[in-house]
Amino acid sequence: MSQWAEPRDFKEWARRAFGLRPIVTLMLVSSVLILEFRFDWMERILGAYLVTTNSERPESGSIWEKSRQTRTARKALEQILTDKQTLQREARSAASFTQIAANVTPGEGVMLSADHFRKLYLRLAPSIAHEIISPFELLGIVSDGLWRRTYFEKSGSGLMIYLLDANNRVLRQLELGVIMLSQLKRGEVALTESLDQLPIFENRIYPADRFFHSLESFPEDVRRSMVPQPETLLEVPGQIVRIGISDETQSGFIELGFEFLNGAQRRVVLVQGHEWAVWRLRSNLEGTDMDNASRQISDQTEDRTPP
Amino acid sequence: MSLFAVSVRRIRILFYAGMTLAGLGALLAVGLFFVAVRDLPQVPEPLGRIIETPPTEIFAATGERLMIIGGREVVPLNRISPFFIQAVIATEDHRFWEHHGLDKLRTLKALWITLFEPGRIQGASTITQQLAKNLFFSYRRTYMRKFRELLVALQIETRYSKREILEAYLNQIPFGVGDYGIERAARSFFGKPALELNLAESSLLAGLPKSPTRYNPYRYFERAKKRQRLVLARMNAVGYTTVEESEAAYQAPLQLMSHAAETPKGSYFLDLVINDLEERYGPEVVYHGGLKVSTTLDPEQQTWAVESLQSGLAKLDQLMGIVDEDQTGDTRSLSHPQGALVALECNSGAVKALVGGRDYSETEFNRAIGNNRLPGSGFKPFLYYAAFEKLSLTPANVFVDRQITIPVVGASDWTPQNFEREHEGPMILKRALMQSVNVIAAQLVERVGPEALIDVARRAGIKSPLKPVYSLALGTSGVSPLEMAAAFSTFATGGIRHEPFWIRRVEDPLGRVLEEQIVRGQRSLDASIAYQVTDMMRGVLTDGTGKVIRRLGFDLPAAGKTGTSDDFRDAWFTGFTPTLSASVWVGYDRGMSMRDVNKIGITGGRGAGPIWAEFMIKATSGEPPREFTVPSDIHFETVDPVSGEIAGQWRPSRMKVAMRSGQIAGAAAGKSGTLKSEQSILEKTVQPAVEKAGTSATKKADRSTITEEDLPPE
Repeated sequence: MSQWAEPRDFKEWARRAFGLRPIVTLMLVSSVLILEFRFDWMERILGAYLVTTNSERPESGSIWEKSRQTRTARKALEQILTDKQTLQREARSAASFTQIAANVTPGEGVMLSADHFRKLYLRLAPSIAHEIISPFELLGIVSDGLWRRTYFEKSGSGLMIYLLDANNRVLRQLELGVIMLSQLKRGEVALTESLDQLPIFENRIYPADRFFHSLESFPEDVRRSMVPQPETLLEVPGQIVRIGISDETQSGFIELGFEFLNGAQRRVVLVQGHEWAVWRLRSNLEGTDMDNASRQISDQTEDRTPP
Repeated sequence: MSLFAVSVRRIRILFYAGMTLAGLGALLAVGLFFVAVRDLPQVPEPLGRIIETPPTEIFAATGERLMIIGGREVVPLNRISPFFIQAVIATEDHRFWEHHGLDKLRTLKALWITLFEPGRIQGASTITQQLAKNLFFSYRRTYMRKFRELLVALQIETRYSKREILEAYLNQIPFGVGDYGIERAARSFFGKPALELNLAESSLLAGLPKSPTRYNPYRYFERAKKRQRLVLARMNAVGYTTVEESEAAYQAPLQLMSHAAETPKGSYFLDLVINDLEERYGPEVVYHGGLKVSTTLDPEQQTWAVESLQSGLAKLDQLMGIVDEDQTGDTRSLSHPQGALVALECNSGAVKALVGGRDYSETEFNRAIGNNRLPGSGFKPFLYYAAFEKLSLTPANVFVDRQITIPVVGASDWTPQNFEREHEGPMILKRALMQSVNVIAAQLVERVGPEALIDVARRAGIKSPLKPVYSLALGTSGVSPLEMAAAFSTFATGGIRHEPFWIRRVEDPLGRVLEEQIVRGQRSLDASIAYQVTDMMRGVLTDGTGKVIRRLGFDLPAAGKTGTSDDFRDAWFTGFTPTLSASVWVGYDRGMSMRDVNKIGITGGRGAGPIWAEFMIKATSGEPPREFTVPSDIHFETVDPVSGEIAGQWRPSRMKVAMRSGQIAGAAAGKSGTLKSEQSILEKTVQPAVEKAGTSATKKADRSTITEEDLPPE
């Protein structure tokens, strides 16, 4: 290997500088630079490398922050909607107002169609339904053609029902108080102020002592058919002063209204008794005139009579 | 050693030093690269993900979109005017189509200028680098940030096509006033889609992203034009336009949207809506959730409300001799009286228009909902209702307008004064309300008690804290125009209260309902008594302190009440038709006295009444006259406004009063007994109380709620 020596003169220096090796090196360097300016190969190499490592890098920066906030917002919205839809679904599948009341949470009501309300309303015994809203009044609202939807909302421990038009204006506001709801839950009872206000008991209202005296003359199982759940009556505060018996039968049942006097306040609790038993009771209360009618009914319903 | 040899040695040293430096530089660059790459942000795929945040949109009751929050209005490149694309490329990065994220020549030039021309800094960021910066990096200027920005730009260039990059860039650049992206900017500034922008409009808009505030054409039009010229010159230099085209574009008139477009229509209202939404759903859902919000705002009424308030305040400035000098927004909002107007639908509570100040761009403080302004006599209708309900008084009962003094526990006695500081003697209550007689109001509150007044105000819809003091009858507790409009609407509906609301429905981006307003009313006032008070307030407009309303041409059946607080600090007019209730307040933010050039105070009738009238004339134009519903137990009698006796045709002054069933004017204590009766009541109550103020401990104990704050407004 020859030792490198300093060029002695310009000629030698020029010979060395313009030799093959430096020219090739220069050309190489120049072409690298020209190619870089022309084809951006460096940028492309770096860009390609960064593309390959992209998925391993952090999701940082303003756009990712925004994306995270969007995801959080979406999640929050989804949660609200899921809760709402669950509530709505449960309300739609509810078979009674009490079931709706059980599902509705404070501050979160449910919206049902007007038809749905009518279905639930029609499932109630007429006297109870009348307590909530008179069927004639409801007919009037239906015939106006404005009622579109019904909104149910918790009100204290009770339930508020709003019949709404297309613009969500309240056409009629109904309130099912806590007592009414608990009575509905127990079934077949409703409240009003006095028996005289209920036309179904007209001319068939008896003093309490006479009623219970008559009731006592029947055996226990018959009495159970006449007043199926006497315990519900025991829960009502006050003294029973009068009892009304309806003469309308519904699916084998007849309504009895017990009027309570609590201080100066009167209240009627409705129960449904078996038709055959109530007729026997009524004939007993009215005397022999009713015996034939009672017997006829009893004959028709013999198969339902307990042994 | 020869000179040649020395030179060669030096060259050689330089060469090796250069090589070493280059090597070190290369090593440093590689090291820097790996350091920078370590926490370089991930680039989303696809790039369109940058605009996937759906915008929250707020709509008026008419369906018109009022505002978009967040999100981007994205348009593909072929829906953007070619002029705008060229203008942006010429201005920001004319070699955009050629480079690969880095314009090396421009960078070298910028480097040279930065290094060798002190005081000058030349930017060389390409469009891709700007996109990288906007998407991932803060605006803090550091060399490392610039380097990382470059690396991300290189990645973007490698991964996406030039068209994708340009589309992403144009859809996210800021144009100021909350407009991001060219489509939103084109609609906001020129009321047209981005595709329809001409050369002049394109060149103006293309100049904005450099500094949206500095080149805001609404505020600095000349500056914006200069920038436009520069953009046109660049377009010409790059070869996109000829000199003639550039000149023609520069000279072309620009049809900028009205100034209102800069600050969205109904901004005070929108603030209210947004704050409400934030409270219900949280800021993240509001700004990133893409809600669709339907409000109650009627854009037409809102426009009229803004116009009426602004023109009314301008007239008030003139009246008060206030010269509008070159003042900034903040200074102007303090040196000029401010105002607020709220209008809502009586039978639902839906807010149709809400203006919280003279100019939203000057001050964003919403005076329409701020509950710190004293309503003055505007509070009297609640007092009269309380008196009718609790004391079974009628509008025909006679009270005496005279100097009285009411003792106050723990403070000096209260001697209420009438506005004119004069007394008229006996008069019926209807007239007392129409003329806004303070002394009679003081007598009523003394008898009915402040608690009863508070109870009525609450039932009507006033929610602000109310002090249980006698002077509350004269409006000494702060309320808001929104509350006043809502509370007066309870009279309009015959006692049915509707909570005011402004959001009708909220949906998620897919149109699923999150909530909807149930328009429910609640009976809170007796229909007949509410009608009696309404009838008295009708008198305010026909022959009382609000006569200005009729004089200005508002002739539909309406009722209302003026209000002026102590020392003319607040002027109010709140009134209603059977369908629309509106409240107007004017006053200084700093509570200064309002007086005209002759030093006469500005009352509610003078300051707020004309604004109310102007707005209501426009808002109810075309509506047929609709009377207030008269309850079945109301009958009307015509009485003497002084004695309260039934007045025959021959009486010179007569006044019709609304009476409930069982109430007979002039017959309560015999045909002319009302006056005597009231005088005797006064003698038995107020006067002895005054005389025994110093000794009657029991009497004072009964008024334990009265404090020294119980100061009367005039």
